[in-house]
Amino acid sequence: MPDKQQSLKNSSSYDILPLFEFSNVVNSSLDLKFILDTVLLTVMGKMLVSKGMVLLTREKHLFEIVNAKGVEAGVLGQAITLKQTLRKPTITDRLSVTNKPWVTFFKAHGQKLIVPILTQGRVVGLLTLGERLGGKKYAEAERQLIHSLVNLSGSAVEKALIIDQLKEVNRDLDRKLQELNTLFDLGKEFNVVLEPDKVIRLLTFSLLGQVGVNRYAICLGKGRNMQVVASRLEKDVCTPDLFETLQELTRAESVDELTRKKKFATVAATLKEGGIRVAVPMLVQREVKGMILLGGRMRGGLYERADLEFLSSLANLAIISIENARLFREALEKQRMEDELAIAREIQQGLLPRSLPVIQGFDVAATNIPSKQVGGDYYDVIAISPTEYVLAIGDVSGKGTGAALLMANVQASLRAFAPMGLSMSEATSRINDLTSQNTGQGKFITFFWSTLDLKSGSMRYVNAGHNPPYHFHADGTMEKLDVGGIILGLMSTLSPYEEASVPLRRGDVLVMYTDGVSEAMNSAGEDFTEERLEGILRNSLSLPAAGIIGNVRTALELYTRDTPQSDDITMLVVKVL
Amino acid sequence: MSEFKVHQRDGEGVSVIDLKGYLDAHTAPDLENAFQKLIDEKKFNIVVNCKDLSYISSAGLGVFMAYIEDVRKNQGDIKLTNMSAKVYNVFDLLGFPILYEIYKDEQEAVGKFAARK
Repeated sequence: MPDKQQSLKNSSSYDILPLFEFSNVVNSSLDLKFILDTVLLTVMGKMLVSKGMVLLTREKHLFEIVNAKGVEAGVLGQAITLKQTLRKPTITDRLSVTNKPWVTFFKAHGQKLIVPILTQGRVVGLLTLGERLGGKKYAEAERQLIHSLVNLSGSAVEKALIIDQLKEVNRDLDRKLQELNTLFDLGKEFNVVLEPDKVIRLLTFSLLGQVGVNRYAICLGKGRNMQVVASRLEKDVCTPDLFETLQELTRAESVDELTRKKKFATVAATLKEGGIRVAVPMLVQREVKGMILLGGRMRGGLYERADLEFLSSLANLAIISIENARLFREALEKQRMEDELAIAREIQQGLLPRSLPVIQGFDVAATNIPSKQVGGDYYDVIAISPTEYVLAIGDVSGKGTGAALLMANVQASLRAFAPMGLSMSEATSRINDLTSQNTGQGKFITFFWSTLDLKSGSMRYVNAGHNPPYHFHADGTMEKLDVGGIILGLMSTLSPYEEASVPLRRGDVLVMYTDGVSEAMNSAGEDFTEERLEGILRNSLSLPAAGIIGNVRTALELYTRDTPQSDDITMLVVKVL
Repeated sequence: MSEFKVHQRDGEGVSVIDLKGYLDAHTAPDLENAFQKLIDEKKFNIVVNCKDLSYISSAGLGVFMAYIEDVRKNQGDIKLTNMSAKVYNVFDLLGFPILYEIYKDEQEAVGKFAARK
């Protein structure tokens, strides 16, 4: 083909290329560029013209320069508006410049003759020619010849234009298909990837590849708390203020569009500074949970509505996956905590006495109802000699494994110090010193322990900040056992713990309990209270120890009904026979 | 799952990456690792031979975008060669021929690096 084009250009005679051959050449091609080249060069060759252009009708009155010879290449792609419909070759010198920028344009580029390219009466384009060599005028006959030549190509041009449009439509379809493939590809991958970092990386790659950007920021979170998780920006413009405003975006918008909206104008200016051209909210049920900010496309071109729609789909697909990953991690974390609680429960239950020793002359019963959360309640009955028994109850602050281990610590030190023959005051100080060294900040234990002396029929005790146990005397009076000192584990012992001795008589009842009893809640959120407990106990004193506990449990069940138990419930009851 | 393989061949001053199989969101991290390795090794003259590449997705193209800037900043380049028509079509659709040098043949691309020296 180039040879043919060359020969066309060189032909300067009217007779070298008969019209029908020209017609054959242009009408047998579907290549628009070739057709336009052939027409333009043929006419230029025949008329001995060194400058010429071809313009195609793009929209009504809008013509784009698609071919230019002898004219600076910069004009290619430029569009001019020409409202007047030219049906015949028109000499530019005869046109008035007034209010006609297109005339000025053609004159500025040395174009003397404008020839419409017509097919079936429609103007599909324009061919323009510069001055002829030697300044010869375009005579009427020549204008007619040019007009005929140009119109011979009219239908070929139109056909080629349609083919081009089809190609463009095809390409658009290919592009849509590619977008769908991208969404499919990512959807598939997002389903199996449960790490947010990986999701974000794949999202980044897909954005870079599909959109062709190299400036971006992916942000996650809500409102002012949004965080940039991946970015490459010219300037970091992401601030809480920016995110707060962007929170109100309901769909993907170009920054140019945002500039026109009063609410977003300031933000749009900031985004522009960072080289950002479009903002895409990541929506989960209409709520903004993230934001994709993108710079200009490296291959040029603006973001069109269809691009923004694609980006929105991509953004929403990704955020759902990120949300799922987060929920999955939360579920894992919850499972881990439940596992930990199960371990804690095992430790705690292992510390409680499996059975209580039989103590001559005493009726002893105990209960421990662990809550779902696993608190840190503890009770113990230890024989330190055939005539001496330790009774203890305690409540460790906090829950879970930490509380259970702290309780194990207290139990170990109690079992170590109790048989050593120390005074209870001294033993308590040592237990406190040991546990306060081993506990972290804010952990403590309320603790009450007593020693039953069968020989003397009396009991000594120390109360380290525990709910005072009740000592119901056989004569109907009651005493709260509150002598002691501060709770265990807060600090090493500064002032010694006080200990007290109480005589025990037949019919006396000792009730030790933890705050899980007195603070058990009903559905209205009200505590069971010590008063209520005291009342129940008073009415149950004639029962065996186990019966007293049974009565309290029944009362608690009636009081709390279906309200979930929030703390361990522990009681240790001793009745003097 | 379709297979994807990345293989690195180091020539004189130019490293060639051979791609084989499906390059999609699932396999994109493999290519990412290969580019990262080259950058860590300070090998910035890179030719990617796509002879056996049967498919590329946007995520795959994104990996090229993610590294091109670092590579060019170090006076290197990523040049692509031996693409099948199907793979080229994806590059073309997304406007990559403007951003990357694409050659028919590996030797040609390697030659461009040599010529520059």
